Amino acid sequence: MEHGSYSDQSKSTFSLTDEDHTFANSVRFTLNQDPRVTFCGYSIPHPSENRVNVRVQTTGDPACEVLKDSCQDLMLMCQHVRSTFGKAVNEFKAIKNVDDMDMN
Amino acid sequence: MSSSDEEQEQKKNGNGGGILDFIMNLEDVPSKLSPHLELIKTRVVCSIDAPQHTDTINYSGAYAALGVDNSVRLDSFCQNFKVEVKKLTDDDIEFDMIGIDPSLANAFRRILIAEVPTMAIERVYIANNTSIIQDEVLSHRLGLIPINADPTLFEYPDNAGGENNEKNTIVFKLHVRCEKGQPRITVKSDELKWLPNGSDLIADDTKPNAGSKPKTFTSFSCSQDSLPEFSKKPLGPTNPDIILAKLGPGQEIELEVHAVKGVGKTHAKWSPVATAWYRMLPEVVLTEDVTDELADELVTKCPVNVFDIEDIGKGRKRATVVKPRACTLCRECIRGGKEWEDRVSLRRVKDHFIFTIESTGAIPPEVLFTQAVKILEDKCERVITELS
Amino acid sequence: MDPQPEPVSYLCGDCGVENTIKSGDVIRCRDCGYRILYKKRTRRIVQYEAR
Repeated sequence: MEHGSYSDQSKSTFSLTDEDHTFANSVRFTLNQDPRVTFCGYSIPHPSENRVNVRVQTTGDPACEVLKDSCQDLMLMCQHVRSTFGKAVNEFKAIKNVDDMDMN
Repeated sequence: MSSSDEEQEQKKNGNGGGILDFIMNLEDVPSKLSPHLELIKTRVVCSIDAPQHTDTINYSGAYAALGVDNSVRLDSFCQNFKVEVKKLTDDDIEFDMIGIDPSLANAFRRILIAEVPTMAIERVYIANNTSIIQDEVLSHRLGLIPINADPTLFEYPDNAGGENNEKNTIVFKLHVRCEKGQPRITVKSDELKWLPNGSDLIADDTKPNAGSKPKTFTSFSCSQDSLPEFSKKPLGPTNPDIILAKLGPGQEIELEVHAVKGVGKTHAKWSPVATAWYRMLPEVVLTEDVTDELADELVTKCPVNVFDIEDIGKGRKRATVVKPRACTLCRECIRGGKEWEDRVSLRRVKDHFIFTIESTGAIPPEVLFTQAVKILEDKCERVITELS
Repeated sequence: MDPQPEPVSYLCGDCGVENTIKSGDVIRCRDCGYRILYKKRTRRIVQYEAR
């Protein structure tokens, strides 16, 4: 859920449930890369409670949109990581098979 | 310089916006960072007491005063990102990830340990245990046994008292008896026998009057080995030689266990990795030439043989860095006074990670990493749908 | 609602032999005469969480 003002859309805090450092730190990283962002950070109000507050302040664009774009970027980065990793593993296996066959 | 100043004046009077471009395009204005700033940005310098410059400078406007754009767009990430697999066996994988931020690498590590689902024993029904291992200790040990089953073929258990059917439970049986007069026997995990048809133990105390089958602890509507995935590879523990208990003569263990799907966050028995870790690529640089006796001393100092000697002719020797990847940051090479600290610089490359994943055997390690990345993607998707 | 529960077998503390003891019987092992007898483990199925 989003805590912000109705008049100024560029600054708000997003409270995400069922999340922890795993997701929050990654999204903070992608937010930082975006040139529209002037400030971003996350905090965990209490460690026993599974909740993360992400603060976003932008240069004018609505914070909600910027956060959505960053999550989208993070998703695309993950997809790229997956495909690159898959290709690297297949290449390695192919080279290993060739080596094994040579040895035999 | 004076002529360009004049041109600058003229440009200023013309269009104000083109000024910055013009200045940036002049020959002696740097568009990249100077070398010492580049070092701070991309390397962790490990000095004798503590590492320096450990955080990553992500903020897109970090070097705005210098006119350098620090924002990393998606396409430059995709271009620069590389993966190199160094070692791959059935249980382990070691690979390099280059061009990624520590927050993502840590996210993958955390997901691998805590959020990739596996199957593990959750409920233990003990019919008889006359051994010296207490019931609860035996149950705890059973819970920690890794089960060789593909968790994607199963559903999460319905914790609100739902039924235990063939889609969310795997049933095993253990019945061992040590006869009187026999020597002591060791109960190993290969004694766990898979029951594809569900539970055998009768649940209710009252005798069933209906005449049909008595109610057991599970309600399997069809046998699990009728499914093609299981008929090829029968389900069981990944390692057959895990010691569960020891029985003396006259002692017996008879129990039945149910394995369900879960994640490491709930209990560590559901973690699919023995462990997963990463380290940054070490970079060892000799800032001064180290020759002759000092070279010999340096080579003997390092316990993992990072340095080696090369001949530079006329009987003189020089030390070179031969295996920087093996450096464990023991800092022996910079111990022994300030001169050594000036000669050797230990650094870590901030965006090059050497990832190692040790699987417990249920899921191959390369599949595990792919699943972990997919789970992070699913988290992003969930947040995006929440925001929309 | 049986008037007398069926005879229960107890284990001798010394030799481990099963002794069936009826109500009113002397508490003694039949083989070795030991006077401490232990009750056997329940036949009911006990459920544990493997945690």
